[in-house]
Amino acid sequence: MEELEQLIFRLCSAPGTPGGESPAAEAAAAELSGLAKVQTDRMGNLTAEFGNPDAREHVLLDAHLDQIGLIVTGIDENGFLKIGRCGGTDARVLPGGAVTVYGAETLCGVVCCTPPHLQEGGEDKVEPVDKMAVDVGLSHDEAEKLVRPGDRVLFRTNPKRLLGTRVSAAGLDNRAGVAVFCRCAQILKQEKLNCKVTVLFSAQEETGGAGAKTGAFAARPTQAIAVDVSFAKQPGVPDVNLGSLGGGPMIGIAPVLSRSMTDRLIGLAEEKKMPWTREIMGGGTGTNSDEIATTGSGVPTALISVPLRYMHTPAEVIDLKDIENTAQLIAAYLREVG
Amino acid sequence: MGRFELLRELCGAHGISGREDAVRKIILREIEPVADSVELTPLGNIIAVKKGLKRPKTSLMLDAHMDEVGLIVTDITDGGLLKFASVGGIDRRVLPGKTVWIEEKIPGVVGAKPIHLLEEDEKGKSVPMKDLYLDIGAGSRAEAQQCVRPGDAVVFDSVFDLSHGMVKSKALDDRAGCALLIELMKDGLPYDTTFVFSVQEEVGLNGAKTAAFAVNPQAAIAVECTTAADVAGVDREKDVCRVGEGPVLSFMDRRTVYDRDYYNLAFEAAKSAKIKCQPKRAVAGGNNAGAIFSSRSGVRTAAVSLPCRYLHSPVGVISQDDYAEAKKLLAVLAERIAETDSV
Repeated sequence: MEELEQLIFRLCSAPGTPGGESPAAEAAAAELSGLAKVQTDRMGNLTAEFGNPDAREHVLLDAHLDQIGLIVTGIDENGFLKIGRCGGTDARVLPGGAVTVYGAETLCGVVCCTPPHLQEGGEDKVEPVDKMAVDVGLSHDEAEKLVRPGDRVLFRTNPKRLLGTRVSAAGLDNRAGVAVFCRCAQILKQEKLNCKVTVLFSAQEETGGAGAKTGAFAARPTQAIAVDVSFAKQPGVPDVNLGSLGGGPMIGIAPVLSRSMTDRLIGLAEEKKMPWTREIMGGGTGTNSDEIATTGSGVPTALISVPLRYMHTPAEVIDLKDIENTAQLIAAYLREVG
Repeated sequence: MGRFELLRELCGAHGISGREDAVRKIILREIEPVADSVELTPLGNIIAVKKGLKRPKTSLMLDAHMDEVGLIVTDITDGGLLKFASVGGIDRRVLPGKTVWIEEKIPGVVGAKPIHLLEEDEKGKSVPMKDLYLDIGAGSRAEAQQCVRPGDAVVFDSVFDLSHGMVKSKALDDRAGCALLIELMKDGLPYDTTFVFSVQEEVGLNGAKTAAFAVNPQAAIAVECTTAADVAGVDREKDVCRVGEGPVLSFMDRRTVYDRDYYNLAFEAAKSAKIKCQPKRAVAGGNNAGAIFSSRSGVRTAAVSLPCRYLHSPVGVISQDDYAEAKKLLAVLAERIAETDSV
């Protein structure tokens, strides 16, 4: 688990907001060097091929590379940066938090928090993100030199090892998925597969799934498995149809997903006696698998999610055992294809 | 060692009210070689005397508090999550999604419900304190109990950044004050001076109250950080004070009506020494001056504060220039007070 933890920490330490994934892509490419043929495309996707290039079956493994963040929309007269959401960032976790601004220089900033006595509604109200600002401690003129609208902003927090095999980091959604496929490639390193495998670390999931849409089209797979994160049990959320930390991969069941692939994944999880849960969705899944399944003339697609607490906050939490089990499950599936 | 390396160490130390041990240790290490006497009081205050070349006409005490705001673990749930209370005034809006340290060794996170699962009436609202908890990764109460107990201290995981003339860190309130006092002690003042590093400011000025009784000074200066509201979205007339415009002098706050002569003297001393300073333009907040000025038969008291944005949040912002100006102002004001007869 020590190695897996270090892998996750390396992946989470590289920034990658939607449309700004290249540092995260470089970090992922470094993990796959020697294991696969790695390429990037003009959308910002990273692809990595391994297995038998001439095989009839071609499995696409998708995990999105981007993470939620903020985007600079302007600079006010006093040098404070106006911001917008870049993906589904939760305003409630921003006030008083340290952030990194990726300008001409990497800057340390703080999300402004108006003192309660000066804010209407006091401590009860949280302003929408477009009413917030980031303080980088610069005057207007200094800020203009170093920051431009469009520059990205991320939470400034270091990954942490919690008790047992749990870890916390910003961006585990979806570096957890990226880690699953890096680990999967390691597991299969010495093995001869009867299928071609293309790992797609796709860009821009958090802003609509453009990377998966174009990446899947370019790869032309015969089937696909997407790995993302989903909700683990935690206080304050309904206790049904959720995963739990350490409870194993959450195997998605939804109209858009391939029932036969899903059944085979469930069968393998049972055979390997690993913990797993179902995640039932009534239509689409809200993940890249929706895009991939409807690419070209259609691609049979399965979805596996890593249970995660506190999604879209700077302190997302996962259990490393779930990463390992998800990687082992997908490796077992790939061994059977072709 | 750069000027702010000591401040970095002080801010990085964990020390909520009543648990100032780590801060006290650093301060003692720094001042023991230069002080003429160092005494610890029953509550944990440090009282240090540094003799000057001259005996003062008015005995003066400088005070900075060692404690910082934070949280305290109150209970462990069946599922292994930690309930907590705040120690000092924490704006609950700053808590969700933040990382913390429990007793310096156990990292934890303040859990927040995913945005995707929010009910309509939860949007745009901060999370009520009763719904917040810390997650240390424990899967059960028994697992959590192996490393955490109710009463354990919790501080924010934070940054320390010195770029572009600012200092961004947790606990600048009031480790910046502690650092200023240490620097003044090391440089030496012309008159004998008592330096107090006090405990428990954030929970009711308990350290300063007892230290002022023990020292029995004729005059005092509280060295603090105060709210600068010169942030985006706040009108200029409501900003209280501004970062970068020098140390802040108080005429009145929620705890204290300051000595009028000392208030005027501070401005006059600043002007003649060409030191930038500004008045605190609101009757708000309070600090150790409130306990000191009403100690025994009364102590003539001034407050010199660094303007600090986001006080009591995981990251405050002060200006390095303000810090340097505050040190100069404290030196001249201390001399002016000490050389004048107290009425």
